[in-house]
Amino acid sequence: MKLQRTNIQKVKRFLGNNTVPILFLVICAFGIPLSGYSANYLVSEVVVRIARNSFLIVSLLIPILAGMGLNFGMTLGAMAGQIGLIFISDWGIVGIPGMLLAMIISTPISIALGIWCGKILNMAKGREMVTSYIIGFFMNGIYQLVVLYGMGAIIPIRSAALVLPRGYGIRNTVNLIGIRKSLDSLLMVRVLGVPIPLVTLVVIALLCIFILWFKKTKLGQDMRAVGQDMEVARAAGIKVEHTRIVSIVISTVFAGYGMIIYLQNIGTLNTYNSHMQIGMFSVAALLVGGATVSKANIRNVFLGVILFHLMFIVSPMAGKNLIGQAQLGEYFRVFVSYGVITISLVLYEVRKKHDRGIAGQILAAEQEAGA
Amino acid sequence: MKIHFGKTFTVRLVAIVLVILFGVMLFFIGKQHTILLDNKAITVAGKEIPALKLVEVQIDKFPSMEFVPRDRDKVDVTMQKHSVTITYTDASWEEISITRKFQVPLMDEMVIISIPTLVANPDAPQSLWLEKYVVPAYAVQAVPADEVIVTDELAGLISQ
Repeated sequence: MKLQRTNIQKVKRFLGNNTVPILFLVICAFGIPLSGYSANYLVSEVVVRIARNSFLIVSLLIPILAGMGLNFGMTLGAMAGQIGLIFISDWGIVGIPGMLLAMIISTPISIALGIWCGKILNMAKGREMVTSYIIGFFMNGIYQLVVLYGMGAIIPIRSAALVLPRGYGIRNTVNLIGIRKSLDSLLMVRVLGVPIPLVTLVVIALLCIFILWFKKTKLGQDMRAVGQDMEVARAAGIKVEHTRIVSIVISTVFAGYGMIIYLQNIGTLNTYNSHMQIGMFSVAALLVGGATVSKANIRNVFLGVILFHLMFIVSPMAGKNLIGQAQLGEYFRVFVSYGVITISLVLYEVRKKHDRGIAGQILAAEQEAGA
Repeated sequence: MKIHFGKTFTVRLVAIVLVILFGVMLFFIGKQHTILLDNKAITVAGKEIPALKLVEVQIDKFPSMEFVPRDRDKVDVTMQKHSVTITYTDASWEEISITRKFQVPLMDEMVIISIPTLVANPDAPQSLWLEKYVVPAYAVQAVPADEVIVTDELAGLISQ
């Protein structure tokens, strides 16, 4: 049985379901004219950012499918990717072979960290997001210990360009000149003057196809069942804990690959900070695309990247033109990133409560009809 | 924990070994080497070999480079096996072209090819005209003071 809704209620529901994307559309609608950027420049920048960030954001989809919310623990995969990049920089492996080798190095680290993170999240069911967020901080401490004190002292790093002058520890920034844009520039085509990194986009498309295919597999269906109701899934014979761990492992491994693709585009590794920023921005971008804690798809990824990064691009110049300070835009970026996550989480809870109310109304209507 | 050497275990083991082998292959094909090309007079076994007055050198399919005496240039390459083609005009104005294949040792990041030595001994083993290059001490920058590592973005708030 369905509740009959008036048109106003339908519009209200649509606005309620898409509050964050609409909010961002409004911000961009104001920001773009204020920034004074040409359409061509904006499109070029957005294409670059789609190629740079999409892989990382797609890696967040599988834990959502398994009902584990937004995987802030993707920073673990990002750390693994960075460790792979540090090694290939030291060994002097360049180009696509360098990227692939960094991915191979990152994979076992990501798997180990993913299993560990998944086991902890199984102990904290219902509080996965905050737990994975704190796991990210904890692991950051271990990462810093390894990179700052272990590398060069215990783990052999020969390159003077990487090691701190004291003889151990990795420098604040690592120059990734050897792999810089190696994937992006493999096949660059220009459409109406806009450079399009075709190979990177193909890689992202392949990942999207993998996600769509994965959802239809037995494991994908199991994850969906676990995401909907763990007890029902367990009663149906699904290994709930194992399925949840696998979802986190897949997400962590993809996050590692995504970080390598991201950093090959940037060309510089910020050794101690890159991974922490990326988790927050990826989650924020996905939420801007209209995803919720329990539901996300590929459309949300691309809409999110476009809207979130469009705001990133225009806000410094808009801020400068508005009050004469580009600093406003920088402030705006951080404020909006945290703000959008807060709004999304609050809206999700409000909507959940509202849906529960509607379910109650439907049940009451059914009971009345039965009587 | 008991390990069962079943079909699944074997498939996984083979997959891991293949990935490791693929990684080793990537190491070999992706390792970057810098080849320095040097056209300087050199003394080999007590005999001085003069620099060539004008010589054109090409490594693999890279653009060719022209050298006059005391010139030095570099090419960044990946993989170990390469070829060098040297074209010059001898005393009787005859154009001579020498092509030699060579292999850069895997772990050597920088090697130097002495063009006069190669031209004087085109059939000599590569160890005579190609050697590992170590940056001289005077060219190495003085060690700067230790960098300040910022591991906590909020550290500034605490120290102020």
